Amino acid sequence: MEERPCAVLLKFPGTNCDAETSRALEEVGFVTEVLPVSALKPEKLVGVSLVVLSGGFSYGDYVMSGRIASLVTEQKIGKTLGDFRDNGGYILGICNGFQILTQLDLLPSGSLVENASGRFQCQWVTLKNLAPKSPFLTHLPEEFEFPIAHAEGRLVTKEAAEAAGYISGGVAALTYRDDVNGSFERIAGLQDESGRVFGLMPHPERFLHRQDHYDPDWKGTGEDESRGSGYYFFRSLHESITKSN
Amino acid sequence: MRETYEISDRFIEAGDANHLLYEPLSSGLTFRRTRRYELEFEGVRPPMEAFVRKTLFDEISQEFHEGEEPALKGFTFFLDYGMKPGALDLEKETILRYYSGIKDPGFTLKDLKIRQRIYLFGGKAEESGRFVRDICNAAIHQWTVTQANA
Repeated sequence: MEERPCAVLLKFPGTNCDAETSRALEEVGFVTEVLPVSALKPEKLVGVSLVVLSGGFSYGDYVMSGRIASLVTEQKIGKTLGDFRDNGGYILGICNGFQILTQLDLLPSGSLVENASGRFQCQWVTLKNLAPKSPFLTHLPEEFEFPIAHAEGRLVTKEAAEAAGYISGGVAALTYRDDVNGSFERIAGLQDESGRVFGLMPHPERFLHRQDHYDPDWKGTGEDESRGSGYYFFRSLHESITKSN
Repeated sequence: MRETYEISDRFIEAGDANHLLYEPLSSGLTFRRTRRYELEFEGVRPPMEAFVRKTLFDEISQEFHEGEEPALKGFTFFLDYGMKPGALDLEKETILRYYSGIKDPGFTLKDLKIRQRIYLFGGKAEESGRFVRDICNAAIHQWTVTQANA
Protein backbone atom coordinates (compact mmCIF):
# COMPACT_ATOMS: atom_id res chain seq x y z
CA MET A 1 0.00 0.00 0.00
CA GLU A 2 1.25 3.47 -0.91
CA GLU A 3 2.48 5.46 2.07
CA ARG A 4 0.65 8.74 2.54
CA PRO A 5 2.88 11.82 2.95
CA CYS A 6 2.58 13.58 6.28
CA ALA A 7 1.58 17.24 6.58
CA VAL A 8 1.89 19.22 9.80
CA LEU A 9 -0.37 22.25 10.21
CA LEU A 10 1.01 24.73 12.71
CA LYS A 11 -1.68 26.28 14.86
CA PHE A 12 -1.12 29.62 16.57
CA PRO A 13 -3.59 31.31 18.89
CA GLY A 14 -5.99 32.85 16.37
CA THR A 15 -5.36 30.43 13.50
CA ASN A 16 -8.83 29.44 12.33
CA CYS A 17 -8.54 27.70 8.95
CA ASP A 18 -6.55 24.66 10.07
CA ALA A 19 -9.52 22.26 10.18
CA GLU A 20 -10.68 22.88 6.62
CA THR A 21 -7.09 22.95 5.32
CA SER A 22 -6.46 19.65 7.05
CA ARG A 23 -9.62 18.21 5.43
CA ALA A 24 -8.45 19.44 2.02
CA LEU A 25 -5.06 17.81 2.46
CA GLU A 26 -6.59 14.52 3.59
CA GLU A 27 -8.95 14.54 0.65
CA VAL A 28 -6.02 14.45 -1.77
CA GLY A 29 -4.11 11.80 0.18
CA PHE A 30 -2.08 13.40 2.97
CA VAL A 31 -2.10 12.27 6.55
CA THR A 32 -2.25 15.40 8.70
CA GLU A 33 -1.49 16.58 12.19
CA VAL A 34 -2.56 19.93 13.62
CA LEU A 35 0.29 20.99 15.87
CA PRO A 36 -0.19 23.79 18.43
CA VAL A 37 2.80 26.11 18.38
CA SER A 38 3.26 25.47 22.11
CA ALA A 39 4.22 21.87 21.21
CA LEU A 40 6.48 22.84 18.32
CA LYS A 41 9.99 21.40 18.48
CA PRO A 42 12.49 20.70 15.67
CA GLU A 43 12.03 16.94 16.10
CA LYS A 44 8.31 17.30 15.35
CA LEU A 45 9.23 17.83 11.70
CA VAL A 46 11.11 14.56 11.33
CA GLY A 47 9.37 12.39 8.73
CA VAL A 48 7.15 15.27 7.66
CA SER A 49 6.88 16.23 3.98
CA LEU A 50 4.84 19.40 4.24
CA VAL A 51 4.44 22.18 6.82
CA VAL A 52 1.33 24.31 6.44
CA LEU A 53 0.61 27.68 7.99
CA SER A 54 -3.13 28.09 7.66
CA GLY A 55 -5.27 31.20 7.53
CA GLY A 56 -6.67 33.14 10.44
CA PHE A 57 -5.57 35.95 12.71
CA SER A 58 -2.58 34.60 14.60
CA TYR A 59 -2.09 36.50 17.87
CA GLY A 60 -4.94 38.79 16.89
CA ASP A 61 -2.80 40.31 14.11
CA TYR A 62 -1.18 42.37 16.87
CA VAL A 63 1.65 44.71 15.79
CA MET A 64 1.10 43.57 12.19
CA SER A 65 -0.31 40.42 10.68
CA GLY A 66 2.02 37.46 11.03
CA ARG A 67 4.63 39.33 13.08
CA ILE A 68 4.21 37.70 16.49
CA ALA A 69 3.67 34.24 14.99
CA SER A 70 6.92 34.53 13.05
CA LEU A 71 8.81 35.70 16.13
CA VAL A 72 7.42 32.91 18.29
CA THR A 73 8.21 30.32 15.60
CA GLU A 74 11.77 31.59 15.38
CA GLN A 75 12.01 31.62 19.17
CA LYS A 76 10.89 28.00 19.39
CA ILE A 77 12.67 26.34 16.46
CA GLY A 78 15.17 28.89 15.16
CA LYS A 79 16.00 28.29 11.51
CA THR A 80 14.54 24.76 11.45
CA LEU A 81 11.99 25.62 8.76
CA GLY A 82 14.79 26.81 6.48
CA ASP A 83 16.67 23.57 7.08
CA PHE A 84 13.46 21.63 6.50
CA ARG A 85 13.12 23.30 3.10
CA ASP A 86 16.79 22.76 2.27
CA ASN A 87 16.35 19.06 3.02
CA GLY A 88 13.54 18.74 0.49
CA GLY A 89 10.54 19.68 2.63
CA TYR A 90 7.62 21.71 1.32
CA ILE A 91 6.10 24.72 3.10
CA LEU A 92 2.75 26.30 2.31
CA GLY A 93 1.32 29.50 3.76
CA ILE A 94 -2.27 30.46 3.10
CA CYS A 95 -3.47 34.00 3.86
CA ASN A 96 -2.22 34.62 7.41
CA GLY A 97 0.24 31.79 6.76
CA PHE A 98 1.56 33.73 3.75
CA GLN A 99 1.96 36.79 5.97
CA ILE A 100 3.91 34.68 8.48
CA LEU A 101 6.16 33.19 5.77
CA THR A 102 7.09 36.65 4.48
CA GLN A 103 7.99 37.67 8.05
CA LEU A 104 10.11 34.52 8.44
CA ASP A 105 12.12 35.46 5.32
CA LEU A 106 11.24 32.14 3.71
CA LEU A 107 9.85 33.91 0.65
CA PRO A 108 11.21 36.76 -1.48
CA SER A 109 11.26 40.01 0.48
CA GLY A 110 7.87 41.65 0.81
CA SER A 111 5.22 42.67 3.30
CA LEU A 112 1.48 42.28 3.29
CA VAL A 113 -0.12 45.51 4.39
CA GLU A 114 -3.61 46.97 4.61
CA ASN A 115 -5.65 46.70 1.41
CA ALA A 116 -5.70 49.87 -0.67
CA SER A 117 -9.45 50.02 0.03
CA GLY A 118 -8.73 50.26 3.79
CA ARG A 119 -11.33 47.53 4.27
CA PHE A 120 -11.56 43.80 4.92
CA GLN A 121 -12.34 42.22 1.54
CA CYS A 122 -14.21 38.96 1.21
CA GLN A 123 -14.85 38.07 -2.44
CA TRP A 124 -13.99 35.75 -5.30
CA VAL A 125 -11.04 36.67 -7.50
CA THR A 126 -9.65 35.45 -10.79
CA LEU A 127 -6.01 34.43 -10.59
CA LYS A 128 -3.39 34.06 -13.29
CA ASN A 129 -1.12 31.06 -13.04
CA LEU A 130 2.35 32.39 -13.88
CA ALA A 131 4.18 29.27 -12.72
CA PRO A 132 2.45 26.26 -14.26
CA LYS A 133 5.45 24.09 -13.39
CA SER A 134 5.24 24.97 -9.69
CA PRO A 135 4.62 21.86 -7.56
CA PHE A 136 1.55 23.68 -6.23
CA LEU A 137 0.03 24.65 -9.58
CA THR A 138 0.65 21.86 -12.10
CA HIS A 139 -3.02 20.83 -12.26
CA LEU A 140 -4.38 24.36 -12.52
CA PRO A 141 -5.21 26.21 -15.75
CA GLU A 142 -3.86 29.58 -16.87
CA GLU A 143 -6.74 31.34 -15.09
CA PHE A 144 -8.94 30.12 -12.27
CA GLU A 145 -10.92 31.47 -9.33
CA PHE A 146 -10.33 31.30 -5.59
CA PRO A 147 -12.00 33.22 -2.75
CA ILE A 148 -10.11 35.82 -0.71
CA ALA A 149 -10.88 37.10 2.79
CA HIS A 150 -8.34 39.54 4.16
CA ALA A 151 -7.76 43.07 5.42
CA GLU A 152 -3.98 42.99 4.97
CA GLY A 153 -3.30 41.34 1.64
CA ARG A 154 -1.61 44.08 -0.32
CA LEU A 155 1.86 42.84 -1.18
CA VAL A 156 4.44 45.64 -1.14
CA THR A 157 8.19 45.63 -1.59
CA LYS A 158 10.68 48.22 -0.44
CA GLU A 159 11.02 49.49 -3.99
CA ALA A 160 8.37 48.90 -6.65
CA ALA A 161 11.02 47.60 -9.04
CA GLU A 162 11.59 44.61 -6.76
CA ALA A 163 8.02 43.41 -7.32
CA ALA A 164 8.44 43.84 -11.08
CA GLY A 165 11.54 41.67 -10.77
CA TYR A 166 9.46 38.98 -9.08
CA ILE A 167 7.29 38.75 -12.18
CA SER A 168 10.22 38.58 -14.60
CA GLY A 169 12.19 36.31 -12.25
CA GLY A 170 9.40 33.76 -11.92
CA VAL A 171 8.92 33.92 -8.15
CA ALA A 172 5.54 35.63 -8.49
CA ALA A 173 3.54 32.47 -9.05
CA LEU A 174 0.04 33.95 -8.91
CA THR A 175 -1.31 37.36 -9.81
CA TYR A 176 -4.80 38.80 -9.57
CA ARG A 177 -6.35 39.38 -12.98
CA ASP A 178 -7.85 42.64 -11.66
CA ASP A 179 -6.47 45.14 -9.18
CA VAL A 180 -8.14 43.70 -6.09
CA ASN A 181 -6.24 45.15 -3.15
CA GLY A 182 -3.45 47.36 -4.47
CA SER A 183 -0.77 44.62 -4.45
CA PHE A 184 2.34 45.62 -6.36
CA GLU A 185 2.18 44.02 -9.80
CA ARG A 186 -1.13 42.48 -8.60
CA ILE A 187 0.85 39.71 -6.92
CA ALA A 188 -1.34 37.21 -5.07
CA GLY A 189 1.17 34.44 -4.42
CA LEU A 190 4.92 34.00 -4.20
CA GLN A 191 7.25 31.03 -4.29
CA ASP A 192 10.89 30.84 -3.29
CA GLU A 193 13.77 29.93 -5.57
CA SER A 194 13.47 26.23 -4.68
CA GLY A 195 9.77 26.23 -5.60
CA ARG A 196 9.02 24.29 -2.42
CA VAL A 197 7.96 27.28 -0.33
CA PHE A 198 4.73 28.84 -1.51
CA GLY A 199 2.51 31.55 -0.04
CA LEU A 200 -0.77 32.93 -1.31
CA MET A 201 -3.48 35.22 -0.01
CA PRO A 202 -6.48 33.40 -1.56
CA HIS A 203 -7.97 30.34 0.14
CA PRO A 204 -7.76 27.15 -1.98
CA GLU A 205 -9.19 25.10 0.90
CA ARG A 206 -12.51 26.92 0.50
CA PHE A 207 -13.01 25.70 -3.04
CA LEU A 208 -12.68 21.93 -3.02
CA HIS A 209 -16.06 21.19 -4.55
CA ARG A 210 -18.08 22.61 -7.40
CA GLN A 211 -20.88 23.61 -5.05
CA ASP A 212 -18.47 25.87 -3.11
CA HIS A 213 -18.53 28.22 -6.11
CA TYR A 214 -20.88 31.21 -6.01
CA ASP A 215 -22.30 30.35 -9.44
CA PRO A 216 -24.52 27.24 -9.28
CA ASP A 217 -23.93 26.71 -13.02
CA TRP A 218 -20.14 26.81 -12.70
CA LYS A 219 -18.51 24.02 -14.66
CA GLY A 220 -15.32 22.53 -13.30
CA THR A 221 -12.07 23.25 -15.10
CA GLY A 222 -10.32 20.00 -14.18
CA GLU A 223 -10.91 16.42 -15.29
CA ASP A 224 -13.55 15.89 -12.58
CA GLU A 225 -16.31 18.48 -12.87
CA SER A 226 -17.45 17.91 -9.32
CA ARG A 227 -14.14 19.32 -8.03
CA GLY A 228 -13.25 22.94 -7.44
CA SER A 229 -9.92 24.55 -8.32
CA GLY A 230 -8.74 24.28 -4.70
CA TYR A 231 -8.83 20.51 -4.97
CA TYR A 232 -6.44 20.66 -7.91
CA PHE A 233 -4.13 22.97 -5.98
CA PHE A 234 -3.73 20.41 -3.20
CA ARG A 235 -3.65 17.51 -5.65
CA SER A 236 -0.76 19.14 -7.53
CA LEU A 237 1.12 19.37 -4.27
CA HIS A 238 0.38 15.79 -3.26
CA GLU A 239 1.51 14.51 -6.63
CA SER A 240 4.74 16.52 -6.53
CA ILE A 241 5.57 15.28 -3.04
CA THR A 242 4.82 11.63 -3.76
CA LYS A 243 6.91 11.81 -6.95
CA SER A 244 9.84 13.38 -5.12
CA ASN A 245 9.76 10.90 -2.20
CA MET B 1 14.86 55.12 31.33
CA ARG B 2 12.10 55.89 28.90
CA GLU B 3 12.12 55.94 25.10
CA THR B 4 9.32 56.77 22.67
CA TYR B 5 8.95 55.47 19.14
CA GLU B 6 6.37 56.19 16.50
CA ILE B 7 5.84 53.88 13.55
CA SER B 8 4.15 55.13 10.39
CA ASP B 9 3.19 53.34 7.19
CA ARG B 10 4.98 54.08 3.93
CA PHE B 11 2.32 52.84 1.58
CA ILE B 12 -0.99 53.78 3.16
CA GLU B 13 -2.38 57.04 1.84
CA ALA B 14 -4.49 59.46 3.87
CA GLY B 15 -8.08 58.20 3.96
CA ASP B 16 -11.44 59.93 4.24
CA ALA B 17 -11.89 60.76 7.93
CA ASN B 18 -15.64 60.27 7.64
CA HIS B 19 -14.91 56.53 7.66
CA LEU B 20 -14.02 56.93 11.34
CA LEU B 21 -17.34 58.56 12.24
CA TYR B 22 -20.91 57.43 12.63
CA GLU B 23 -22.18 60.62 10.99
CA PRO B 24 -20.13 62.29 8.26
CA LEU B 25 -18.70 65.78 8.55
CA SER B 26 -18.91 68.19 5.65
CA SER B 27 -15.43 69.64 6.06
CA GLY B 28 -13.46 67.03 4.08
CA LEU B 29 -10.93 65.91 6.69
CA THR B 30 -8.52 63.12 5.89
CA PHE B 31 -6.63 60.91 8.33
CA ARG B 32 -3.58 58.74 8.75
CA ARG B 33 -2.82 56.31 11.54
CA THR B 34 0.47 55.66 13.27
CA ARG B 35 1.41 53.65 16.36
CA ARG B 36 3.30 55.01 19.30
CA TYR B 37 5.24 52.90 21.76
CA GLU B 38 6.59 54.14 25.09
CA LEU B 39 9.07 51.79 26.69
CA GLU B 40 10.35 52.00 30.21
CA PHE B 41 13.46 49.92 30.59
CA GLU B 42 16.64 49.31 32.55
CA GLY B 43 19.99 48.51 31.03
CA VAL B 44 21.63 49.60 27.83
CA ARG B 45 19.84 51.17 24.91
CA PRO B 46 21.12 49.24 21.81
CA PRO B 47 19.54 45.85 22.64
CA MET B 48 16.30 47.59 23.61
CA GLU B 49 16.19 49.41 20.30
CA ALA B 50 17.07 46.19 18.44
CA PHE B 51 14.10 44.57 20.19
CA VAL B 52 11.80 47.41 19.12
CA ARG B 53 12.99 47.28 15.52
CA LYS B 54 12.64 43.51 15.32
CA THR B 55 9.32 43.21 17.12
CA LEU B 56 7.36 46.38 16.46
CA PHE B 57 8.65 47.67 13.14
CA ASP B 58 8.61 46.45 9.55
CA GLU B 59 11.44 47.92 7.53
CA ILE B 60 9.77 47.20 4.19
CA SER B 61 6.45 48.90 4.74
CA GLN B 62 7.02 51.30 7.63
CA GLU B 63 9.05 54.28 8.81
CA PHE B 64 10.66 54.46 12.20
CA HIS B 65 10.64 57.66 14.26
CA GLU B 66 12.33 58.21 17.61
CA GLY B 67 11.34 60.73 20.25
CA GLU B 68 8.36 62.90 21.05
CA GLU B 69 8.22 64.92 17.83
CA PRO B 70 5.12 63.95 15.77
CA ALA B 71 6.07 61.71 12.86
CA LEU B 72 3.76 63.46 10.40
CA LYS B 73 3.53 67.14 9.52
CA GLY B 74 0.73 69.40 8.32
CA PHE B 75 -2.00 68.02 10.56
CA THR B 76 -4.81 70.01 12.14
CA PHE B 77 -4.85 67.84 15.25
CA PHE B 78 -4.07 64.31 16.34
CA LEU B 79 -5.79 61.93 18.69
CA ASP B 80 -3.78 59.49 20.81
CA TYR B 81 -5.69 56.69 22.45
CA GLY B 82 -4.91 53.42 24.19
CA MET B 83 -5.98 51.17 26.99
CA LYS B 84 -6.43 52.57 30.49
CA PRO B 85 -4.06 51.29 33.15
CA GLY B 86 -5.73 48.23 34.62
CA ALA B 87 -7.74 47.47 31.46
CA LEU B 88 -6.60 44.31 29.74
CA ASP B 89 -4.37 45.24 26.82
CA LEU B 90 -4.02 41.98 24.90
CA GLU B 91 -1.56 43.43 22.42
CA LYS B 92 0.73 44.62 25.19
CA GLU B 93 0.44 41.26 26.97
CA THR B 94 1.33 39.42 23.75
CA ILE B 95 4.43 41.55 23.21
CA LEU B 96 5.50 41.19 26.85
CA ARG B 97 5.00 37.42 26.71
CA TYR B 98 7.23 37.26 23.64
CA TYR B 99 9.81 39.45 25.39
CA SER B 100 9.78 37.21 28.47
CA GLY B 101 10.60 34.23 26.22
CA ILE B 102 13.79 35.82 24.92
CA LYS B 103 16.74 34.11 26.59
CA ASP B 104 19.06 37.06 26.96
CA PRO B 105 17.37 40.27 25.84
CA GLY B 106 20.22 42.46 27.14
CA PHE B 107 17.85 44.89 28.88
CA THR B 108 14.92 44.78 31.28
CA LEU B 109 11.60 45.95 29.94
CA LYS B 110 9.73 47.51 32.86
CA ASP B 111 6.67 48.82 31.08
CA LEU B 112 5.22 49.27 27.62
CA LYS B 113 2.54 51.75 26.66
CA ILE B 114 0.89 51.39 23.24
CA ARG B 115 -1.01 54.27 21.69
CA GLN B 116 -2.86 54.47 18.40
CA ARG B 117 -2.36 57.91 16.91
CA ILE B 118 -4.74 59.34 14.34
CA TYR B 119 -3.63 62.45 12.50
CA LEU B 120 -6.40 64.58 11.02
CA PHE B 121 -5.66 66.86 8.09
CA GLY B 122 -7.82 69.77 6.93
CA GLY B 123 -11.00 70.91 8.66
CA LYS B 124 -11.06 72.59 12.06
CA ALA B 125 -9.50 71.62 15.35
CA GLU B 126 -12.91 72.06 17.06
CA GLU B 127 -14.13 68.97 15.23
CA SER B 128 -11.86 66.77 17.35
CA GLY B 129 -14.71 66.13 19.82
CA ARG B 130 -16.60 64.13 17.23
CA PHE B 131 -13.63 61.85 16.70
CA VAL B 132 -13.12 61.32 20.41
CA ARG B 133 -16.80 60.47 20.81
CA ASP B 134 -16.90 57.95 17.96
CA ILE B 135 -13.47 56.33 18.33
CA CYS B 136 -12.75 56.23 22.05
CA ASN B 137 -14.57 54.20 24.65
CA ALA B 138 -14.46 55.89 28.04
CA ALA B 139 -14.82 52.53 29.81
CA ILE B 140 -11.49 51.21 28.57
CA HIS B 141 -9.58 53.99 26.79
CA GLN B 142 -7.44 56.93 27.75
CA TRP B 143 -6.91 59.63 25.14
CA THR B 144 -5.43 63.02 24.45
CA VAL B 145 -6.03 65.46 21.60
CA THR B 146 -3.15 67.65 20.44
CA GLN B 147 -3.76 70.66 18.23
CA ALA B 148 -1.21 71.65 15.60
CA ASN B 149 -0.41 74.91 17.37
CA ALA B 150 -0.08 73.28 20.82
